[in-house]
Amino acid sequence: MPVPILKQGAILIASIQAALSDHDLIELRDDLGVRVGHNRSRGVVIDVTALDVLDSFATRTIRGIAHQAKLRGADTVVVGIQPDVAFSMVQLGLTLEGVATALDLEEGIEFLRTLK
Amino acid sequence: MKDARQARADPTSADEMQIDQENVNRRKDFLQFRQEDADALRLLNDVAQKYADPVIDDLYRHFLSFEETRSFFRDAAVLERVKQLQKEYFLRLTVGDYGADYVANRLRIGTVHERINLDPKWYLGAYNFYLRAVASRLQEAFGDDTQKAFMSFLSLMKLVFLDIGLSVDTYIYARERTMRKQQEAIRELSTPVLQIRERLLLLPIIGVIDSQRGRLITEGLLRSIRANRAKVVVMDITGVATIDSKVANHLLQTVTAARLMGALVIVSGLSSEVAQSLVGLGIELSKLNTVGDLQGGIEEAERLLGYKVVQLAEPTKSPLAG
Repeated sequence: MPVPILKQGAILIASIQAALSDHDLIELRDDLGVRVGHNRSRGVVIDVTALDVLDSFATRTIRGIAHQAKLRGADTVVVGIQPDVAFSMVQLGLTLEGVATALDLEEGIEFLRTLK
Repeated sequence: MKDARQARADPTSADEMQIDQENVNRRKDFLQFRQEDADALRLLNDVAQKYADPVIDDLYRHFLSFEETRSFFRDAAVLERVKQLQKEYFLRLTVGDYGADYVANRLRIGTVHERINLDPKWYLGAYNFYLRAVASRLQEAFGDDTQKAFMSFLSLMKLVFLDIGLSVDTYIYARERTMRKQQEAIRELSTPVLQIRERLLLLPIIGVIDSQRGRLITEGLLRSIRANRAKVVVMDITGVATIDSKVANHLLQTVTAARLMGALVIVSGLSSEVAQSLVGLGIELSKLNTVGDLQGGIEEAERLLGYKVVQLAEPTKSPLAG
């Protein structure tokens, strides 16, 4: 299932609604890459509230998205990581180093605003 | 039969200590305690009956001549009863059946001595006294047959060392049980997560952190971050006496997990000893946001959240007068 990408001013919001296959993740990465340039976005929010697991591939891809967006002038923030997900990620050593995080969508947008 | 029933009622039974037949056999093997020894000891029963009273009288005279052991026999009635039990114990050495009942009996005796707080040094000293007292009696009883006296003595020594092994185990087991109980008590002390300002949580940690408690703390904190929409957390570890690499790892995990949820954790209350031991252990904590004390931690958190605390007036002379 492809991930809908919403445009809100200078910000892109990728709202993940269901568990993603590796293929979906790759598609999301490619879509966001195109859309950041196309919309001249300054920020990207990746909302993972609906996910109850984030494995190493997902983590790596999200980091990839963040770095790729940064190179094109957009900051990325991951929002809505659930307590259980955060705990198991830490246990697996997946720390999303170098990627901004926020509690929820509202916080994430607020965070991107303060950057400007 | 009576022995076995009592042993079961006792808190430190062989079952609980996981001393089964196999375990006892291994002990005997190691001591090279064989059927010949059991037989040799059974032959000593007559001698034992004959010398039981004088040996035990000697033993208690010895006990009473030391301040530390005398204090256990203040009461003449107690002394008499203990002597009787001691005699049973002594005679039991030469009955010849050293199976499960025997072990249960020895464990119970060890437990009783631990419970009355008789230090192992006196307990072991008494065994030594026994062996010496019996050695001279054996010499007397066997007269010219020194070879036989000596062999019997060796058999007895093996058995006494089996006893010592069992009773020392009861001491260790009892202490370990106390330690386990205390650990549980500490674990049950909950770790509250308190909101002290809008979007600011306080997590005071007191006591020992092990993996289970570390997990509970982390889970509790993450849930509170979500529920209170926290942005900053002050984790105060003033009450954590020692930190090793395991605990440090737990703290790091908690901090990282909180960050994944968009909350910054400030660690406060590292004593100089803790700081020193962390440096000594070479633990990389550069990713941690640390502040010396709780006040500093809260001030830093307030600064990050954009709060500014201003004193509006001079404090009243006596706060109690309001």
